[in-house]
Amino acid sequence: MEAVGPDTCGGGDAARGAEGWPAPEARVHFRVTRFIMEAGVKLGMQSIPIATACTIYHKFFYEINLDAYDPYLVAMSSLYLAGKVEEQHLRTRDIINVSNRYFHPGSEPLELDSRFWALRDSIVQCELLMLRVLRFQVSFQHPHKYLLHYLISLKNWLNRYCWQRTPISVTAWALLRDSYHGGLCLRFRAQHIAVAVLHLALQAYGVEVPAEAEAEKPWWQVFSDDLTKPIIDNIVSDLIQIYTMDTEIP
Amino acid sequence: MDRDLLRQSLNYHGPSLLSLLRSEQQDNPHFRSLLGSAAEPARGPPPQQQLQGRKEKRVDNIEIQKFISKKADLLFALSWKSDAPATSEVNEDSEDGYAIMPPLEQFMEIPSMDRRELFFRDIERGDIVIGRISSIREFGFFMVLICLGSGIIRDISHLEITALCPLRDVPSHSNHGDPLSYYQTGDIIRAGIKDIDRYHEKLAVSLYSSSLPPHLSGIKLGVISSEELPLYYRRSVELNSNSLESYENIMQSSLGFVNPGVVEFLLGKLGIDESNPPSLMRGLQSKNFSEDDFASALRKKQSASWALKCVKIGVDYFKVGRHVDAMNEYNKALEIDKQNVEALVARGALYATKGSLNKAIEDFELALENCPTHRNARKYLCQTLVERGGQLEEEEKFLNAESYYKKALALDETFKDAEDALQKLHKYMQKSLELREKQAEKEEKQKTKKIETSAEKLRKLLKEEKRLKKKRRKSTSSSSSVSSADESDSSSSSSSSSSHKRHKKHKRNRSESSRSSKKHLAKASSSQIDQNRKDECFPVPTNTLASFLNQKQEVEKLLEKQDRLPYQKKQVKEKDRCPLSSSSVEIPDDFGGRSEDPRDFYTQASSSKTEKPYKSEKHFSSRRDSSDSFYRNSEDKVKTYSYRRFEKDTEGRKEHYRRWEPGSVRHSTSPASSDYSCKSVEKYKKYTYSGSRDFSRHEQRYPLNKNQGEYEIEDNYEEDIKTEVPEADGLNSKGQSESGVKKNLPQNLLNIFNQIAAFEKEKGNKPKK
Repeated sequence: MEAVGPDTCGGGDAARGAEGWPAPEARVHFRVTRFIMEAGVKLGMQSIPIATACTIYHKFFYEINLDAYDPYLVAMSSLYLAGKVEEQHLRTRDIINVSNRYFHPGSEPLELDSRFWALRDSIVQCELLMLRVLRFQVSFQHPHKYLLHYLISLKNWLNRYCWQRTPISVTAWALLRDSYHGGLCLRFRAQHIAVAVLHLALQAYGVEVPAEAEAEKPWWQVFSDDLTKPIIDNIVSDLIQIYTMDTEIP
Repeated sequence: MDRDLLRQSLNYHGPSLLSLLRSEQQDNPHFRSLLGSAAEPARGPPPQQQLQGRKEKRVDNIEIQKFISKKADLLFALSWKSDAPATSEVNEDSEDGYAIMPPLEQFMEIPSMDRRELFFRDIERGDIVIGRISSIREFGFFMVLICLGSGIIRDISHLEITALCPLRDVPSHSNHGDPLSYYQTGDIIRAGIKDIDRYHEKLAVSLYSSSLPPHLSGIKLGVISSEELPLYYRRSVELNSNSLESYENIMQSSLGFVNPGVVEFLLGKLGIDESNPPSLMRGLQSKNFSEDDFASALRKKQSASWALKCVKIGVDYFKVGRHVDAMNEYNKALEIDKQNVEALVARGALYATKGSLNKAIEDFELALENCPTHRNARKYLCQTLVERGGQLEEEEKFLNAESYYKKALALDETFKDAEDALQKLHKYMQKSLELREKQAEKEEKQKTKKIETSAEKLRKLLKEEKRLKKKRRKSTSSSSSVSSADESDSSSSSSSSSSHKRHKKHKRNRSESSRSSKKHLAKASSSQIDQNRKDECFPVPTNTLASFLNQKQEVEKLLEKQDRLPYQKKQVKEKDRCPLSSSSVEIPDDFGGRSEDPRDFYTQASSSKTEKPYKSEKHFSSRRDSSDSFYRNSEDKVKTYSYRRFEKDTEGRKEHYRRWEPGSVRHSTSPASSDYSCKSVEKYKKYTYSGSRDFSRHEQRYPLNKNQGEYEIEDNYEEDIKTEVPEADGLNSKGQSESGVKKNLPQNLLNIFNQIAAFEKEKGNKPKK
């Protein structure tokens, strides 16, 4: 598969702070998770399996040094594994086809020869490795479910025309999907991430929750008791950081 | 660009966002024009009043504003708003769909004043409200709202909002004059909002469903039970009794939250399209993804090329005559890619070569369905249809044949063969109709005159023959030697010139239709029966006829041998289709011969020998008399048997066949074979079958080998078929018309005479034994 840039240095996730430029490693992960998401879409995966694949990937490289394994192979195995975990089974053949096309745009599909089967074997082997590294804990609580419930609650409280006019749910959903470019999913609780993306979506369109000033409890506190404003800000700023990488990395 | 949205955002964030937007979206023409105009109102009224109160809150907001400005082209694009309409808001959602939560404001503990204000701001006509009747007056009743049934979901139970349901909006339930007598104070009423006075905070409701929007019109208005209260309200009441319960706890404990389909359900409810997932990443705009890069498209492409590979391998097998392998490859290709046109066409061609015309037609039709422009598929289909039509014509299924021709013509109106065949068929049908009438007249005459016609003579003869046959069957072994003698005798004696002509004719008939299926012979004989029937108007016992035919053909064979050389020269064209002229001397033709050849060959090989020929003949005739199904069943046995034999046989198949000739003789002399012949007739039968099967294999190989060249270069194949089919067809129809129409009367008479002669000969032979 594709060679990973030489810009890999140790330090793991800690090297990436909420402030400042992301560590070079984060850029690699950004690129690879971009691949996971694009391949996921092309494989017809839904948001949750894609999220699982990204989480598996991030978690794997949280445990393992980036130099140790080819991140793209890990990504492919993550996709495969996520398909199993989320019961949206994918065929390795499809994964290989889509990946091959991703790395070599416009190329013909691979022939089903020994090389193809070798690729397939490497994915399966890598999957086993990852399962062991992750100690078979590959099932995650994703923010998606929370976010959707929050959206419904909010929708009922908001004026219906305001809701219709403003694409809050789509934006929040997009933000949540994009958040998997980074390791947010490992560092924050699902509920917190869900609230944060909802917050950012509301901000983007300048939508205020009615009577927020008069309320005893802010809306985001309702959704998650242990959530504080700084946590939201942290997540939002991390999220925005990810988007700055989008413009930096072609 | 959604101007309203942008304005809303600008109002909220103030001028800093505007300037950021200007710098970030400079290159975007939409924004340039928009921001120019949006600059004034954005700066105008809202910022002043808003910014003061929020400034301290907005310290970190510059980051968000930068983000907004960078992504503004995506965030405010019209296409960003999902067009997918949120699924209907009918509040009948079952508990399983998702976790239905008490209203948010209840958790937020918003003062009643604000709730009330917001309620009257947000309530709309057509919304469903649920309340308790507080008082009934002569002009209607008042109810205190406790919850909402559609539109918005709010916690209003403590807001003491009253609504009036005027008398005219209360449907009468009985014949009593006063509809209000039906209602009592404290009843829970579901009603539709009819009128709102937002300023005075007054509501008018109606119990007629016409007050509801169309998608809610199914909901029953009027008195409801407490069980029918919306789930959210019941949860909210629970929450009120235990206000310590958190949003998260209620959600997590709800059955709907753990529903595996909850995400999908809510996505639909919120109108988010997962098939076209949204993203604010520039590189992940799914609209920029090419359809060709998707897994299904790639898989399809890959499967197609893989299937094509298999087809190629199959064609290679086909070329060397390994038809089973070729078929396997084609089937594999079709397993990989169900709709693979090339595989379908190739398999169809193989079926056609094998004589399974119906299967071939199916394949070609499917191929054409998938790729209507496929030239070969169309051509092959036309040809096969015409061929099948010819077959049906032989079976006297003229209407079916006609439909096949018409189908072929519909596919390709320039296809001449189909047109010719159709015309001939029409002509023939007309003539046969006339003929039938004539025959009917003739019969009439014959009956009245009560003269013993030749036909009746023949019938008597046939009956006698049948009786004899039965006897003979009972005592097979004893009479076999005699019959074989009789057979050889008849075959030798039949080289007379009188029967010569007839045989030649028959021979031609057979070879002409030789390209048709394996069933050919049965059909031919049946058609002959039919002819006889027409002529003589009594059913000929098939058993006898079949054996009779056998003999005839045998005689024929000898004659053919004699006449071969001149005959060949005369009919060069026939040579192509009639393998007689080629290496396999004893094989009269390819498909049609399958059933009869082994016997013929067999008798020829050992005609003068002892009991066997007769036996085989007997078996054979009985086999032919039996139905096709028997044939099939037995073939299985034969297969296994012959395979076993192959295993035993160290030599190749061909040798096996060659050796069969002397082998049979050997068997008869060896003690083991006497076992075969005497003790187990069944086994013996198998032997003959295996022999015949071997034979047919070789026969098939022969013509198929011929065809391989045709398939190799497809155009060649087309041409070949094209030239071949019309020939065969022309000859077929010519033969048909020759025997059936033009010379019908004289030929039939001749036939009868010949048959009589043959039987008399046989009769004469019998005393000899």
